[in-house]
Amino acid sequence: MPDNAPAAPFMQPARYRVSHETRYRYFPAVSSARQLAHLTPRATEWQIVQSHRLNILPPPAEYEESQDFFGNRITRFALEGSFDSQSVFAESVVEVLPHAPAPAAPAPDWRQVRSACAEGNALLRFELAQFSASSWMAPALPEAADYAMASLQGGGSWLERLLSLSQRIQADFAFDPAATTVATPVLEVLALKRGVCQDFAHLMISCLRSVGLPARYVSGYVLTHPPAGQLRLIGADASHAWVSAYCAELGWVDFDPTNGKLADTEYITLAWGRDFSDVTPLRGVVLGSGSHELEVSVTVLPLG
Amino acid sequence: MPQRLLTSYPLADRRFDELLQAPLLPRAHWSRLFRELQGIHPQHMRERIQATERQIRENGVTYNVYADAQGQDRPWELDGLPLLIPPEEWRQIEAGITQRANLLNRILADVYGGQELLKSGVVPPSLIFGHSGFLRPAHGMRVPGGVHLHVYAADLARSPDGAWWVMADRSQAPSGAGYALENRLIVSRIFPELFRDLSVEHLAGFFATLRDSLAHFAPEGDGAKLTVLLTPGPYNETYFEHTFLARYLGFPLVEGGDLKVRDGKVWLKTIDGLKRVHAVLRRQDDDFCDPLELRSDSALGIAGLTECARRGTVLIANALGSGVLESGSLLGYLPQISEFLTGEALKLPSVATWWCGEPAACAAALARFDHLVFKPANPAYPFEPVFGQDLDVAKAAAFRQQLAAHPERYVAQELVRVSQAPVLNRDHARLNSPDIALGARAVGLRVYAVASPGGYTVMPGGLTRVAASADARVVSMQRGGGSKDTWVMSATPVNSSFSLLRTTVTAAELKRSGVGLSSRVAENLFWFGRYAERCDNAARLLRVALARMVPDNDDEDAVGPIMELAHRFGILGEAELLDPQLIEASLLAAANRDTQLCGLAANLRQLARVAFNLRERMSQDNWRTINRLLQDPVFGREASIPEILNWLDRAITGLMTLSGFALDGMTRDTGWRFLSIGRRLERLSFTTLSLQVALREGQQDGQQDGPRAGKSAGLTWLLRLTDSVVTYRSRYMSRPEWLPVLDLLVLDEANPRSVSFTADGVCGYLQKLETAFGPCGGDLLAPLLARLAQLDPAVDLHPQSARLLELLEALRAAVFSVSERLATRFFNLADGRNRAMLGS
Repeated sequence: MPDNAPAAPFMQPARYRVSHETRYRYFPAVSSARQLAHLTPRATEWQIVQSHRLNILPPPAEYEESQDFFGNRITRFALEGSFDSQSVFAESVVEVLPHAPAPAAPAPDWRQVRSACAEGNALLRFELAQFSASSWMAPALPEAADYAMASLQGGGSWLERLLSLSQRIQADFAFDPAATTVATPVLEVLALKRGVCQDFAHLMISCLRSVGLPARYVSGYVLTHPPAGQLRLIGADASHAWVSAYCAELGWVDFDPTNGKLADTEYITLAWGRDFSDVTPLRGVVLGSGSHELEVSVTVLPLG
Repeated sequence: MPQRLLTSYPLADRRFDELLQAPLLPRAHWSRLFRELQGIHPQHMRERIQATERQIRENGVTYNVYADAQGQDRPWELDGLPLLIPPEEWRQIEAGITQRANLLNRILADVYGGQELLKSGVVPPSLIFGHSGFLRPAHGMRVPGGVHLHVYAADLARSPDGAWWVMADRSQAPSGAGYALENRLIVSRIFPELFRDLSVEHLAGFFATLRDSLAHFAPEGDGAKLTVLLTPGPYNETYFEHTFLARYLGFPLVEGGDLKVRDGKVWLKTIDGLKRVHAVLRRQDDDFCDPLELRSDSALGIAGLTECARRGTVLIANALGSGVLESGSLLGYLPQISEFLTGEALKLPSVATWWCGEPAACAAALARFDHLVFKPANPAYPFEPVFGQDLDVAKAAAFRQQLAAHPERYVAQELVRVSQAPVLNRDHARLNSPDIALGARAVGLRVYAVASPGGYTVMPGGLTRVAASADARVVSMQRGGGSKDTWVMSATPVNSSFSLLRTTVTAAELKRSGVGLSSRVAENLFWFGRYAERCDNAARLLRVALARMVPDNDDEDAVGPIMELAHRFGILGEAELLDPQLIEASLLAAANRDTQLCGLAANLRQLARVAFNLRERMSQDNWRTINRLLQDPVFGREASIPEILNWLDRAITGLMTLSGFALDGMTRDTGWRFLSIGRRLERLSFTTLSLQVALREGQQDGQQDGPRAGKSAGLTWLLRLTDSVVTYRSRYMSRPEWLPVLDLLVLDEANPRSVSFTADGVCGYLQKLETAFGPCGGDLLAPLLARLAQLDPAVDLHPQSARLLELLEALRAAVFSVSERLATRFFNLADGRNRAMLGS
């Protein structure tokens, strides 16, 4: 019977239509804007991008798609002429295949993973050095090492210990969008015990880098579940961020410290880098003084 | 006899002495200079030294340690004695620097390309990947000509055994070459015969190579190749050098806001529209160069520059990301890198240096703790150098612990006892000492190389940096050091006919017009004119108003219109106008307190601000005149009416001086026209306003006495305000009356303050601009000028004339419209402030 048992629900591939709209209003109108978007999902072994479009209004004077240093797909565009509002609308249909290991999957001790990363061949060290070294928003810190060690010191494999770390972050930290900004340093988040998904991802990355484990920042979306009996609200989702950590035997494994679990088919990956600043979904520069308002709406719709 | 010169010269203590090979015995290559010094009469020497100091002041050579708009620049410190380097020694340095520049360029090409050095482990990948100077967006860019490193500098020091060592590499935007040139211009004049007799190598060729090579390597397209020098602005510590080099090399000096990216290319915003930029010699750190892709918190850069660099449509010297080589963490790896990339051994060794991010190197360094200086490995984590020998046991333990937490942030370098060189003892120069005496200071030598089509060319000379004492461990300008000229002696006669200052200019290249004038500079010139005139107006108005406050004033003028004008000018508020008690205090404050926003003091501040932004175009005299006003003893202090009246006289004199500089000292180019238009528009606005206020008062008087009465309640104030009292009195022996006063102030085309003269001037300048740039507002003024000419003195020159009043109102409105038109046409491009936006 076990051989014929149906796969658990989370082992099924999943398809989504993700729409992500960013609207700017400028006071007063501006005459020039130049932007860089990480809004196209990355194609991976376990993520198939079936369709993608990016609608920009007013239409850009310059538009170019390419890849960034980390292999993510990026779009650069520039607007000219006077405009007081702007919209960037990304819509993608993505299929995500199961790729997370079972929580009990065999894995070495985390110290062995650390040694393997530090003492592997030159090429491996080259590839991992990107994600082992401190970055501006996710630096190695003695305080983060202390926090991490409380989870790492217990018995069990690398996988169990990292899962436990992400669960502890979920338990210790309150989700509070008012507590932090994109510029709040990890050390402050650690003291506040509050923040949003970006903060928790940066914290966990800092924890891992502080003890010599490579980790990268993943930007994307997560499927949310409307309360029982209610319909899914359009635009009520948000972009999400989580952590990918490296273990030679298992490759890169995704942990979501905001929800305290492994990330699998409910997660749609846009891009990865060292931290938020490498993969900001949309960044831009407008010329001239004044102010602007920003509104973002995201919908993750499961497709049959 | 040498003893006389060397009475206070210290013997070198376990360090190399540049001058002496044995006590009292100069080295061979110094003997000629030494003889010369012995032969010079001390009085002549003093005069030469004083001349040096004067020349530095007059040339405005500064190094800003606390740069600010108040002009607290520190004068450049230059010792009159050059450092001499004999030919055979120089040949070794030159070969070593050439090799090293090549090597560093290849490292940059690898790090921003195939990364073989990292993949093979010759360089620890984390050294580069953890370094804030490694700019990922610059990876894979196509640098024109394959050159990343266009200008390279190395800091050299000489160890006790006489060998030269590299202490540090400057690969980002090396400073000091301009100062070296300025030093040369000054020192070669202190010792002109010696300079010739010693066959000193000239520097001009190096700068010509720099200029020509940038043009050679820059990409083609969209007209003649244009190179600009990018500065972070007047607050930068080496801003003087930026302005000096820009002028010397003939490159426009630009700030980030002057450039714009469009269609994947870089453009300069000029008053004539966008002009393609082919090469950017940057003095701005690379992470501040592009707020879109590099540092989003930078308001300084050019959004999209990185993309242009990646496409290879612009040459950036040095290439973005070249700062990654500067921290010294690579020094210890250079021998093996050189072996790996070129198979060559280094000709010029680096001082022993360890990057603590590698455990083995870190252990080796900590074992030599007391002999080392620890420096930051990463500019993102800066700290002051720490000398192991300075720390007691407890402090050393604390430091070791800090280091252990983040070893990758530390570089450890062997302390070198650098050489000492002779300096002229300044005290002896100032006191009337009968003798010249030499002192000694620790020195370091910064040398420069530039990439040229035929390989790297080394500047035959350099900037000798002088420490504050003979036994200093760090030689740094930031730490109160000075500098020297560096004389590389040639084995063969030097061709002295070559100088960049006397470069060949063909008739076609003659520059007469202001095409290429940047929008920012044009806007600043326009506002310089406006603020200078506004200050003058405020000072005259205050002088007239405050004179009314003095009890024995013999004017018969009514006080009403004067205060009304002060109100319209913004000096008096509604409340003050109603309460005479407040008037005096308000007027005094307007004169010398910059908190009163429409007053003289505040406008002088604005003038200084604009002048500061124009420093590279303003003569020192302008700058000095403005500074003298801002530093006036009454400025910002409690003062009595007589004191303030005296101050207003000084202010008006100073402002007239500025006006004289503009009239007599500036070339009549497009920039000058913007300044003059600003000045005339401001004057037109003030004169018409003053006339309106006076006429309104006259109407009220007239109504009491019947229309067109010749009587007036005193118009002397109006004449004073417009500096026309003398003219009036010379023409009419009567007290001021409406008809002759209005004729003088409205219609008289010979009176430089009349409406007619002023408006006509603006029209003339606008027409000049229009022939070059098309319509820009002349059409707004021309019809009014025609109406002005049609006024009939017999009919229209009295307070009840509707035609006159309407025309004055229309002229004042036109000042605004012309200003707006100029802003839209020429200055809007100048708004270069970046605002970053992040969207989640």
